[in-house]
Amino acid sequence: MINLNERFTEKKNFFNRLLIIYVFFGFLFFLFLYRTFALQVSSYADYELASIKNKTKEILIQPRRGIIYDRNGEIIVNNVPSYNLITRPSEIENIESHIEEIKAFIDISDDDVLNAKENYKRSAKLNRELTLKNNLTLEEIAKFEVRRHKFPSTFIDERYSRFTPYPELFSHSVGYVGNLDEDNLIQILAEQNLKPKETIFVYSNGYIKGMTGLENIYDKTLRGVYGKKLYEVDASGKLLNEIEITPSINGNDLYTSLDIESQKVAFEQLNKRRGAVVAVDIDTGAIVTYLSSPSFPLNRIANGMSSKDFNKLLNDGNKPFFDRAGQGRYSPASTIKPAIGLYGIENEIIDWDFTINDPGFFVLPEDNRVYRGWKKGGHGEINLKEAIIESSNTFFFSLAYESDIEELIDHLSYFGFGRNVCLDCFLPDKGLLPNPEWKMNTLNFGWFKGDTVNLGVGQGYLSATPLQLAYYSAFLAKKGELSKFSFVQEDIDAPLNTFVSKNINDYDWEKIHESMIGVIDNPKGTAGRLRDLKDFTVAAKSGTVELVSTETKEDYKIIRETEGKRDHAIIIAFGPMPNPKYAVSVVIENGESGGSVAGPVAIEILNSLLKNE
Amino acid sequence: MNKIFKIFRKKIYFDQYLFISIATLSIMGLLFLYSASQENLETVIKQSFFVIFGLFLMFLLSQLDPDFYKNNASIFFLISIFLILITLLYGKEVNGAKRWLDLGFFTLQSSEIVKIALPVFLAAYLYDKPLPISLLHTFLTLVIILIIVNLVRIQPDLGTSLVILLAGLYILFLAGLSWKFIGISFSIFILSLPFIWNNFLEPFQRQRVLTLLDPNADPYGSGWNITQSKIAIGSGGIQGKGYGEGTQAHLDFLPETETDFIFSVVAEEFGFIGVCVLLITFFFIMLRCLYLALNARDRFCRLTIGGLSLLFISTVFINLAMVVGIIPVVGMPLPFVSKGGSSLLSFYIAFGIIISMATHKKLMQK
Repeated sequence: MINLNERFTEKKNFFNRLLIIYVFFGFLFFLFLYRTFALQVSSYADYELASIKNKTKEILIQPRRGIIYDRNGEIIVNNVPSYNLITRPSEIENIESHIEEIKAFIDISDDDVLNAKENYKRSAKLNRELTLKNNLTLEEIAKFEVRRHKFPSTFIDERYSRFTPYPELFSHSVGYVGNLDEDNLIQILAEQNLKPKETIFVYSNGYIKGMTGLENIYDKTLRGVYGKKLYEVDASGKLLNEIEITPSINGNDLYTSLDIESQKVAFEQLNKRRGAVVAVDIDTGAIVTYLSSPSFPLNRIANGMSSKDFNKLLNDGNKPFFDRAGQGRYSPASTIKPAIGLYGIENEIIDWDFTINDPGFFVLPEDNRVYRGWKKGGHGEINLKEAIIESSNTFFFSLAYESDIEELIDHLSYFGFGRNVCLDCFLPDKGLLPNPEWKMNTLNFGWFKGDTVNLGVGQGYLSATPLQLAYYSAFLAKKGELSKFSFVQEDIDAPLNTFVSKNINDYDWEKIHESMIGVIDNPKGTAGRLRDLKDFTVAAKSGTVELVSTETKEDYKIIRETEGKRDHAIIIAFGPMPNPKYAVSVVIENGESGGSVAGPVAIEILNSLLKNE
Repeated sequence: MNKIFKIFRKKIYFDQYLFISIATLSIMGLLFLYSASQENLETVIKQSFFVIFGLFLMFLLSQLDPDFYKNNASIFFLISIFLILITLLYGKEVNGAKRWLDLGFFTLQSSEIVKIALPVFLAAYLYDKPLPISLLHTFLTLVIILIIVNLVRIQPDLGTSLVILLAGLYILFLAGLSWKFIGISFSIFILSLPFIWNNFLEPFQRQRVLTLLDPNADPYGSGWNITQSKIAIGSGGIQGKGYGEGTQAHLDFLPETETDFIFSVVAEEFGFIGVCVLLITFFFIMLRCLYLALNARDRFCRLTIGGLSLLFISTVFINLAMVVGIIPVVGMPLPFVSKGGSSLLSFYIAFGIIISMATHKKLMQK
């Protein structure tokens, strides 16, 4: 009996203990079921996304950047393919020894080596590629290919470079491209709902964007739209097959109004002197010539140049990077005179028959200060037309003296002074159209009558860019109705700037044209030397910007010993008369004579433009 | 007809519930393996042979009387220890581990044999001892268990050694190990955890435990397996991606798809529905074993059924807990589903013994 009892307890004990373990496992079973439920049902969306992310890889396709043409359909900037030696810096520990190894059989220039070393760290960090050498020859390609197994992180591939056949002609107008920084790229891609992962590079320097000029202004149009390829990948990252492709959309080509021939002429004429030339088609406001001199090599800036060469350009005293055409401020000097004359007509201060006696100077009644003209003894009894032809200062001093400064400023702003006159210029300067308020705020001085008198001959505080001077010139040519300037051929609905007047009519404009033709064709004209350089009629007004005020010619002779103190030469012109097509402005720094130094340049530009119609 | 069936039933020993559920599980396993092995037919054919042979072996072993196992338990146990020792000396080394004996036609993982032999031996050993188990026998049993566990651990095969330890402890527990003893030794175990951590675990094993606590600390290194396994399971959703369509499994993101992580493949391709079907099958086997243990004819049978079924269940749960990231990765197959002949056969043997114990009745129960 005892034995039986014992067995019963033992069995009961066994059941209890087995049950305890089973209950424990039962609990585990439901815990596990719950856990799986949580993964598969509650967090399904997260894990599904993770699985898709795992198995796919997005690769960006860079679009081809638009080509830039001149007005005749000639290519200004193109994308040129070349076979480049490219390396992945993130996979290379020591770039110097890497280059040394390759240099044993492929010649890499010191410039390229320097360039590679400089960009190595940055490219490695951003996981970008680095170009060791552009434009490999077939022989070099063959030499590398037989040894490529030794350089797993280096390869040869076809890449495009931004290239212009005219490296110095369009440096400031078309501008250059440069590397897109990470933030910019993320922003651009975000606009297109893309995320940067890897890129099929099209360009030798990776992601590019327009940094200056038209490349910058029309960057969005030229750039195109990034595409992407979606690949299925395995765990090792091997691309298995293409799942989806969103093709890239190539950038739009840009048809500019620039004219290569006239640009060449401008370049040759300025011949690396400091200065600028701007010429426009007056009917459309399209800029056909835009040159700032000296210039810089566009291709090398865009596609990589060593910092040594770059610094040399940067520290050049002639400031080749400075865009004199759009940003250089120059006093208009005597070129302002037609506008001042028109002010006199408009406000009925003078008419075409009105004359004054020019003794060679003007005395300001308020303080007896003397304002001199350029010709000793003066021009005698002269009217407005003669005053323009001979460039009498006294006439315009006294006319300005009679004017109301606020009205005069309003009047001048019609001609483009103090305003942005261009729709698509890169960082255009507005120059300075001074007024009493401005003078008080910046110089802490009140406006003197003498300031107004100075304004009458375009000296003093007034300054304008060559671009504005070209606008002024075109505005005169078009008799007070001109659209804003632009660089493109297509009709971009440029706003029209119309001169609103009470008293100026077509007769007055004709008289102004006549006077300006006289500047060249009249025996007394200040730009008489230009007469024989052309076989059509041109209207012009020259100017000489005094940098240092001198009393006598002898004084100036001392001044001109220093080149930087010599007068600037300046001219505005339009033609052919009587139906002008083009207007031009030329500034040559320290060129001394508007008529004889800047003038021939303007004539050659007009010659070239008219010849290439 | 009915008569023939009855005679048939009298002559043979057979548990249709276990047999059918195990056969079903095995066939599902072959199906899963085909996908998990990247449609490798050779693997599946090889596994099929083991399944067919295993089912036959299971049937055969269930015909033997429990007394046969009881009387020969010591011999089986000694043979299995011998195999372990041979493995340690002459075993085939794979990835730094000596776990396999090359028998020419078959590579035997000797730890899988001792895994079965130990609980059977312990049950036989405790058969005629007074129960609840005395302190002396507790210690003797523990010494035997720890020797075997350590022999397997130094191969090294942490997963199997853990399961063997558990199997031994189950027998002790079922044999009536006093709660006082359990309490004291459990406290000692907890207190000595830092010591075990520092002295018994290999650096990679420690890393696995740390990874479990924070798999995102190093998702592309030590956390890779568990991260990818969770992605595979989670992305299966309710219905799954479809048979053979699991991208995690087929694009090599998931490691060890044929063995340790085969459940993740099932979860990815068949979703929560597939997971439930698989789990219910396991759960059914588990419950059937409970029923059989409670109705076993004597102490040996009780202990053996209890020990072996718990061994089976533990293996299942260790594998499942591992793939969903509840416990560290230890290397544990999913019984009847994962690839691997030794593991597969060991469980057919275990269930052959269980069925034998459950179906052989004595007129006069001891």
